[in-house]
Amino acid sequence: MNSRIRFLVPALMLLSTALPVHADNHTVSQVKKSFSVPVVKAKIGDTIEFRNDDDFAHNVFSLSDSQSFDLGSYKKGEVRSVKLATEGVIEVECAIHPDMKMKIEVKK
Amino acid sequence: MTLTRLVVAAVLAMSAVAMATDGATDETVPAPRDTQAASVVRGGIVYRTYCVLCHGAEGRGDGRAAKMYTPKPANLTESPFNDVYKELIIRRGGTGVGRSAYMPPWGDELSDEQIHDLVSFLRELRKTGQPAG
Repeated sequence: MNSRIRFLVPALMLLSTALPVHADNHTVSQVKKSFSVPVVKAKIGDTIEFRNDDDFAHNVFSLSDSQSFDLGSYKKGEVRSVKLATEGVIEVECAIHPDMKMKIEVKK
Repeated sequence: MTLTRLVVAAVLAMSAVAMATDGATDETVPAPRDTQAASVVRGGIVYRTYCVLCHGAEGRGDGRAAKMYTPKPANLTESPFNDVYKELIIRRGGTGVGRSAYMPPWGDELSDEQIHDLVSFLRELRKTGQPAG
């Protein structure tokens, strides 16, 4: 019995680290040359979907040290996404519309 | 009598305004809107608003976003392309002319006048190696 517990405890610990943490999807719309929200609070592993609801193209990107990306230019109705990989604050911009800015706060 | 004085004063005042207006018209310098120099200045404003991110303040392809891209943004002080092709790249973006997809299409964002002014600015930049305006 005792030996079973000794075996089970490390096995359960191993299993708990191996199980994937539930990841969420967050949708951020681009409409009227603005992001639909100024800040998204998310965690590592979550995905941010950027949906273009304007009649013209957007080009969402970030040059932040914690995570940089460029989703390229995409037209109305299209969605581009980025998976959050590191903790920190990601400042997001649009290359075509310099006034568009938002942040993603990424926790562990 | 009082009414007559008022009418005379009003007529004199209107004449004075008309004379002042005529004088101002004579001395007014035509707005430089349609000159090449003005187009370059306006194009510089467009450049600093939309293009500087990738192409850099001096146009050398070293803007703050350049580090993300391979190939690097074009060095516009050495651009081999003519005005027509530059306008095409600006309007359609890199993908539209078979070049880097990192260059967005600006045809929906910029007006015809802005694109024309931007090409004027780029022509001057290519000629002098220095951003004008």
